[in-house]
Amino acid sequence: MDLSLLQALERERVLEVLRRDKQLRTIEEDRIRRMKYELQDLRRKGAKSYTRQYGERTCARCQRPLGKFWNSGSVCRGCSHRICRRCRVSVGAAEWKCTVCHAYREVKFRSGEWFLEEKAKKFPVTADKYETVGERLLKTYGVLSHISVVPPTPPPHMEYPFLSRSGDFKNSKPFTKSMEDLMVSFTSHIRKMSNSQNDVREDLLKVNNYRRGSDFHFCTQKSLSDTDINKCKNLVKVPSLPNLFKKSKDSDHEGSSTGAEEEASYSSEYSGGKRGSSSSISTDCGLFESVTVAGELELAVAYNNNTSSLEITVGACRNLTYGNAKKKKCNPYVKAYVLPEKNSKLKTSVKKNTTNPVYNEVLKFHIERHLLYGKRLQACVWHSRSLNRKVFLGEVLIPLDAWRFEDKALESFHWYPLCAKAESPDGGAVEQEGGEMLLRIKFSSNNQGV
Amino acid sequence: MVNIIDHLIQVFLLRFLCLQMASATATYGQKESSDQNFDYMFKILIIGNSSVGKTSFLFRYADDSFTPAFVSTVGIDFKVKTIYRNDKRIKLQIWDTAGQERYRTITTAYYRGAMGFILMYDITNEESFNAVQDWSTQIKTYSWDNAQVLLVGNKCDMEDERVVSGERGRQLSEHLGFEFFEASAKDNINVKQTFERLVDIICEKMSESLDAGDPAVTGAKQGPQLTEQPAPPHQDCAC
Repeated sequence: MDLSLLQALERERVLEVLRRDKQLRTIEEDRIRRMKYELQDLRRKGAKSYTRQYGERTCARCQRPLGKFWNSGSVCRGCSHRICRRCRVSVGAAEWKCTVCHAYREVKFRSGEWFLEEKAKKFPVTADKYETVGERLLKTYGVLSHISVVPPTPPPHMEYPFLSRSGDFKNSKPFTKSMEDLMVSFTSHIRKMSNSQNDVREDLLKVNNYRRGSDFHFCTQKSLSDTDINKCKNLVKVPSLPNLFKKSKDSDHEGSSTGAEEEASYSSEYSGGKRGSSSSISTDCGLFESVTVAGELELAVAYNNNTSSLEITVGACRNLTYGNAKKKKCNPYVKAYVLPEKNSKLKTSVKKNTTNPVYNEVLKFHIERHLLYGKRLQACVWHSRSLNRKVFLGEVLIPLDAWRFEDKALESFHWYPLCAKAESPDGGAVEQEGGEMLLRIKFSSNNQGV
Repeated sequence: MVNIIDHLIQVFLLRFLCLQMASATATYGQKESSDQNFDYMFKILIIGNSSVGKTSFLFRYADDSFTPAFVSTVGIDFKVKTIYRNDKRIKLQIWDTAGQERYRTITTAYYRGAMGFILMYDITNEESFNAVQDWSTQIKTYSWDNAQVLLVGNKCDMEDERVVSGERGRQLSEHLGFEFFEASAKDNINVKQTFERLVDIICEKMSESLDAGDPAVTGAKQGPQLTEQPAPPHQDCAC
């Protein structure tokens, strides 16, 4: 399936739906992951340990001894273990299953796994069974659609190096020309500008400066254009623009139910940004250099009722990738948010020159217990650099629904594998909105006869 | 001096209020789609000829709204609704497809992920009824084998312009092995019932799929069970 037959506007419309779908699926995957964790837990509890000797007749779930004639238990038809009467859940009229088999069955229902299995009977699973058509489309068109929004890109000269072009725009005025010109002029003025420039400009300068240093060409790579747009997004975050943004939102969504939702999510994002430091605004928008994500993060999450705060103990990280691969350097620190608000941010200290940092620091978020419902903890690992931008090393997302703190499972240390930024649904929302904002800016610049 | 401080406090309060409101709307707006508090998630696809009323049907169900104006759907769209049925909270992701031929490649790509279908025709439009057979073939081709389909004759409020009798619809549905409803998105007739029935059928299929497949799922562990056969299931009641 491809969208090449559609007109640009139609394609945008469809991609918009696909993005919404992706957001929904990310949340759903989150739920499924949580469910599977629970199941694993239950299994572990029920499993017989190798270290202990068991008599022939014990219940496989609670390990209580079973009698020969009386209370002798019977065999579960799912797992063929002998189960006492207490560890059974009745299914249907006469049938029963042991607690683990029942939970297994429930998870299959609840996660939709049953459907995937059924589907696989007709369509053999090829690659990732969770990946859908929409996902693939988003991957292929996600990049392209952003390009179509970006103003005058010279298509035949994709190999044109960035440096030589910057000279042409040396005297152009920022904020009045098109976005691309804007970016270019920033870099060309780089040396002339003093440090006292306003935050936004400075952010851009630093990034462009860095990219130039590492031989990036502005228009040469397709995959880069996405991050280029992320840079432009930083402009969008200038506080004077939200009204404009909201207007465009309203007209785009013609009263569809989702319009309000997205606008709302933007405003929360915006409010969060205002409170945070300028550096975290830029990192949230994807204005960072990405490296391949690897390694794990050790966390323990607990809720302290006495101080009504969420306490995150950051234990350590292991096997991180080098933030600076060339020099084999890595100065990692961990930054935590309680999503989706993003207005409270906590950081650990920076550990120098290690990919296996040990922190043992406690981060405390003051938040009422009931407010945790539906919230998620985002713990990102960053490589800190003194002058340049930070480097994103990976993140972990943990759902914080209140009930999770009842079973104490989260309170002990766990190793969580680090994920790439794309995993975050909030990140996705931001990207999408950045794209729309750009469209507006392009039009206004065209009117001025660029 | 006092004035300035007053002013500052006002500004501060205003900003605080704005922030509060922003976060409030954010949590409210995202409620339906980001809600994780449900048991099952079902994906449903609505298909049928152009202008039979698929989008209206969905809007009536999801938002309880109706607009007579016809706006052709671009490619695909979806809405999310969580319902409470059979003691379970079920989140429905209902995909609305474009009926127009030119979007067919996009829409058919979504057949595979749908657990159930609503195949819709317009009772005032013979052509849309005649196309039902083709749509059904499409489902057979692109969807899983146990795809549950409900045939819906929409616009049953327009009795004066009816060209497809209820009897014909029923006969066709029996022939195809689907269940059948006549409905009206405009007058809100049978809309909820259609979705609820479809959910029930999917639930049934879901239980069947695991109960039938149970030995296969745990097939690896079947061996020991046979050796332990002397323990019949009713043994625990012998006492």
